[in-house]
Amino acid sequence: MTRVFVFTNHKGGVGKSTSATNTALGIAGMLRRAGAPNSRVLLIDTDSQAHATLVTTGTKDYGTDNSLYTVLMADRKNAAQTLLNCIVQSTWDTDLHILPASPMLEGAERELMGIAGAPYRLADPLSRIINRYAAVVIDTRPSFSLMTEMGLIAATDAIVPVEPRYLETVGLMSVIGKINDIREGWRQPNLRVSGILITKMNTRIRGHNHLLDELQTHSVLGKLLLGVVPANEAVSYAHQNHQSVFSYDPKAPASKAYAQFVGKLVQRIAKGGA
Amino acid sequence: MPPKNQIQRIDELLGSVTEELMMGNPQQFEDNSIRVERLLLEMVRPDPVQPRRVLPEQLHFAFHNNRLTPTQALKELVQLVQVAARQRGRPFNNVLELLPNPDDEGDEDKSVHLSPEEQLLHDLVNLAITIRDDGQVNPLTVVDVSQGVTQQFRIETGERRYWATWLLRDFIVGYNSDGMIPCIIIPTERSSVFRQAKENTARSGLSAIAMARQAALLVLTVHGYEIPSHAVANDFYRQALELDLRGKREYTESILTAMGGIDKGHLYHYKTLLRLSDEAMELADRHNIDEKKLRYVVTLPTEFHAEIVRQIIDFNLTSKQVKELCAGDGLDTRSQDDEIEHLPASAVKLAKIAQASNTTSAQDLAQAMMRQEGDANLARARLQAMRKLLTDAERYLTE
Repeated sequence: MTRVFVFTNHKGGVGKSTSATNTALGIAGMLRRAGAPNSRVLLIDTDSQAHATLVTTGTKDYGTDNSLYTVLMADRKNAAQTLLNCIVQSTWDTDLHILPASPMLEGAERELMGIAGAPYRLADPLSRIINRYAAVVIDTRPSFSLMTEMGLIAATDAIVPVEPRYLETVGLMSVIGKINDIREGWRQPNLRVSGILITKMNTRIRGHNHLLDELQTHSVLGKLLLGVVPANEAVSYAHQNHQSVFSYDPKAPASKAYAQFVGKLVQRIAKGGA
Repeated sequence: MPPKNQIQRIDELLGSVTEELMMGNPQQFEDNSIRVERLLLEMVRPDPVQPRRVLPEQLHFAFHNNRLTPTQALKELVQLVQVAARQRGRPFNNVLELLPNPDDEGDEDKSVHLSPEEQLLHDLVNLAITIRDDGQVNPLTVVDVSQGVTQQFRIETGERRYWATWLLRDFIVGYNSDGMIPCIIIPTERSSVFRQAKENTARSGLSAIAMARQAALLVLTVHGYEIPSHAVANDFYRQALELDLRGKREYTESILTAMGGIDKGHLYHYKTLLRLSDEAMELADRHNIDEKKLRYVVTLPTEFHAEIVRQIIDFNLTSKQVKELCAGDGLDTRSQDDEIEHLPASAVKLAKIAQASNTTSAQDLAQAMMRQEGDANLARARLQAMRKLLTDAERYLTE
């Protein structure tokens, strides 16, 4: 079964898009390096801001006929083919494919409201083409809207990026609770909270260290901790240049941290029989 | 794409983590086995150079040149069959009407002669219904030919099942298809013309023309010709006529095995069928005419091929009759070329048929007339008209 990793948190600016894009690229590169027969990774951008789309394709000029919006609005019978038609290749790597977001997604939620089966409009077509990919990574918007719900319903593994700040960590349990609600409410037994990724960690800030210690010792959350990505200006400069952090500065601490994190995900993919 | 040295640097970083991952189990990702997967129907495409063609030639080329989608190609086929069926007094609106009604007990006794197109659609509908009722038990064999974001699989075997699944999806009401089809995915490096040929010849029903195309593909392959990935005209296969296996003895056995264990003589006969004119090839393929009949047609000038093939079909001639017809034809055409040019084609056709009259029994002719006309009175009227024509012709000969 292809693993679908969704990066979600209702708080903005925690590094969802950065983590999703670099993770997707990392998985493709690592699988290829490991000699996997299939190293293609699909990145789905469900955020109408289209940041992940912009950095991975160099443009966010996608609209009604070539984006996720097109897939969500397609006739159910043709949705899978529409999805295939909308996928573009990333400028980062030939094995990284992108289903771009569009500003139109903002209105899509309103348009889909009240339509039967709306939350499955991503999961259904994706399930028909998913076996062509070694992994799928979904970037979500910073809210638990219909679009995020669609991403979670399509996913197998939810990863929660979080900054090591007090209010963010307090909200962590509610994020996990929301994911569990979706698993139970929409009967998605395959969906699970797969890990927590600490982002923008600054070891010179005492509060960050304190919260990380607390998290590591927590009976439940401690086991979910998958990685700690240090605050690193290489990340913002990489964005500015429409590059991955790996290619912008492979020696940067953030690059190494993301590589370690991706390694753990790839191990899971391998165990799942990729 | 990032520059090459940048990719190398990324690889170095990811590689160090990958090595840690792979410790103790370096083969965990290596999987070149043949897999069975359910693929989206739209991702699968028939092989344009597959010797065994399912669609009639015109639709085959229109479909492979992307002028028709699968649904449009089937729609055209259904319309084609509707016209043919209406002409034969068997009109239908729904493709399901092509299947016999299980409630009609008397239907079993009626032997209805179907045109090749009717037969094709009938078989596809039958297959579609089997898939609907029992599921797709036998997966297609496909080769992964995906490039970049374009994901595509080329059918190696199972084109009929592919068309039946489309038929089921778009033409048979009340069936809720998920649009997927189970496929055995062959890694690209394992796919070969020889493999496809073995799969083809292992099944019955490969027409002599398909065998000729098959032989051509094999011969062209061993001579290093590149097999195109788009639909090709008969001239592509005819290149094999100039080639033989003299310098390629090491491949002779593989070719004969791939052709279904035939001998060299048969291979030669099949290959020679490529000399037939395009029209004759199309007719012979559509009507599945035996090689033993066609081998005599090849000896005639190209312009007579289609005419003789039509006679084989219309009068269900035996190979002996074809041999006689062609032998006579050769003499006639060489000595009386000028006269024939001024005669109407129907007169020439009837004159040729007259040569085969001593090998046809009256009973066979009566049956053939019945099959053609579908009504005893009509058949009788045709014979009477023919008798009058023959009497008049005899009078001219006497004069």
